[in-house]
Amino acid sequence: MIIRGFFSALIALAVLVQPTSADETCMSPYMAKIVGQEDYVYIWTLGLEGVGDGEDKLVTVDVNPDSETYAQVIHSISMGGRHEAHHSGLTDDRRFLWASGLDTSKIFIFDVHTDPAAPKLHRTIDDFVEKTGGVVGPHTNYALPGRMLITGLSNNRDHGGRTGMAEYTNGGDFITSVWMPTDDNLQGAEKSGSFADGYGYDARALPRRNVLVTSSFTGWNNYMMNLGKMMGDAEAMKRFGNTVVIWDLHSRKPKKILDVPGAPLEIRCAWGSRSNYCFTTTALTSKVWLIYEDEAGEWQAKAVADIGDASKIPLPVDISISADDNHLWINTWNDGLTRLYDISDPFAPKQIMEEQIGEQVNMVSQSWDGERVYFTSSLLANWDKTSASEGNDLQYFKLYKWDGNSLTPEFNLDFVELGLGAPHQMRFGAHALYGGMTAQSPSGLVTTPPAH
Amino acid sequence: MVLAPGYAPLSFTPPEPGSYALPAMGSAADGAVIDSDGNSAQLHDFLGGKPTVLSFIFTTCDDVNGCPLATYVMRSVQDALQADPATANKARLVSFSFDPVFDTPDVIDAYGSQFRAGEFDWQFLTTEGATTLDPILNAYGQWVIRDYDENGEYMGTMSHILRVFLIDESRQIRNIYSTSFLHADTVANDVRSLLMEAAAEPSADTGS
Repeated sequence: MIIRGFFSALIALAVLVQPTSADETCMSPYMAKIVGQEDYVYIWTLGLEGVGDGEDKLVTVDVNPDSETYAQVIHSISMGGRHEAHHSGLTDDRRFLWASGLDTSKIFIFDVHTDPAAPKLHRTIDDFVEKTGGVVGPHTNYALPGRMLITGLSNNRDHGGRTGMAEYTNGGDFITSVWMPTDDNLQGAEKSGSFADGYGYDARALPRRNVLVTSSFTGWNNYMMNLGKMMGDAEAMKRFGNTVVIWDLHSRKPKKILDVPGAPLEIRCAWGSRSNYCFTTTALTSKVWLIYEDEAGEWQAKAVADIGDASKIPLPVDISISADDNHLWINTWNDGLTRLYDISDPFAPKQIMEEQIGEQVNMVSQSWDGERVYFTSSLLANWDKTSASEGNDLQYFKLYKWDGNSLTPEFNLDFVELGLGAPHQMRFGAHALYGGMTAQSPSGLVTTPPAH
Repeated sequence: MVLAPGYAPLSFTPPEPGSYALPAMGSAADGAVIDSDGNSAQLHDFLGGKPTVLSFIFTTCDDVNGCPLATYVMRSVQDALQADPATANKARLVSFSFDPVFDTPDVIDAYGSQFRAGEFDWQFLTTEGATTLDPILNAYGQWVIRDYDENGEYMGTMSHILRVFLIDESRQIRNIYSTSFLHADTVANDVRSLLMEAAAEPSADTGS
């Protein structure tokens, strides 16, 4: 928690003990939050051959409407090649942004506090596979107190879906790793159903219940394969995750393996102080699943809603929960739709609206108050569509205003036209997080005014 | 105002002490400090030899879910450990002020006397100023944002991320707690885990 000060109007203090808001609604509960206007969106972008320098890059867009460079790309830093840029995450103090590559397993740590308008590379972790004992494909970069939890997608033995998680200090030093529970090594976990596949994907914590929840996707062999080829390969299509694991957060030991068939992806947990549940969606079966603690204190999984017509493979991807736990944005990549669900009854979500965002849509990020909703398009280099229908955008970063009833387009940046690539994960930045424009020493006792 | 979980009974059954690992997260940094008697010392003088819980506070913090929470939890940890003969006087607490302007040795001595139980090893430290304080805060990832007005005058309020550190007898950081997960029961269990770990290590004297 950030203990309050003058900037408390702009930064959220308590993640922890009261409902808060932000994609800001979707990050770790250990983190500081931006409750006012965000200044920047940092977009981890996949390089595309023939587009600009073709390299993965961290792109900074000015999103403060009071700024002279509003809605413009103001900074970009390229990472020397294509690593399969996918997800990023901030440290709990939001001073560093970790961004990882699913192919090379490199993790790039950016300093976003010295000059939030111009992130700079602080450190590169290039021995993730070695240090973790073979985990491949760092996916989720999730803040814990003073450290980062990194989930994997694959392994260096068979490049299949069995994988693990690792912890690093905020500065980038390896601490420990653990493998996901499997049939031949449950690690004390209860196998509640048919599956113990050992696959991984996302992770979210509910500290007041001492719970960490993880989901499961697929391994390097699949996520680096051309989508059409993979979908035509019956054996490959069997190699997707079917589990959500409930962990003891304090001991980092798996407690229970839940059957959630069809590749459960993003996990978003409710913020209410008595709301002991999380949502995930299954990519292959197109359902909303509720992961919840029942009255007996047991964690369960239940399919609670359909997402579109599963036979058309809408492919649910990113989701974003609102601050008040009443709404859930669900993007379906294949048809380019964003869908809003009323989840005020978590056991009976109902779709209440949908909007065409582009030819394909992946990530969705909300501002603190839910009034600004950002979208990006890219999923994976070998899965992304390469052409768009008339009137649809292919690779973009878009802002919409949300008034509680409808989405109104605000701006649209075409990342191919701009020579950048395929945009993916978004994270917010703000000068207010670091004391405004005046730099302060760690104690705040020594200040350096801005140069201009 | 919703109070932090640390003020209420723990809402879950914590794992048994000694049943889980607390991987080392790096060495606890040293630096020049001043104790509550006004003596110059090194932070390492108050770390090592036994499990230590270190928190960064300032005595004028009035955010109930901030520094007061850290001090409340540490006092509860003190009381829990002292109530058990197996753990009494086998751990240390350190409350470190990052406000050297207000938190002089006299101030932190008076502050600490409210919480320290008898002769329990609970140290209250401050520093001379930014020159010695900044390197320590940087090493522990503690950054304070002070509120200044448009003329550069300090407005009397500041913000920081609450972090409490568990440091083992070898001065290795073994856990970090923030407000969401700062509770006397889990902190005390982690201290007990470290004591069990130390007791299980072969003695150098016996050569076993």
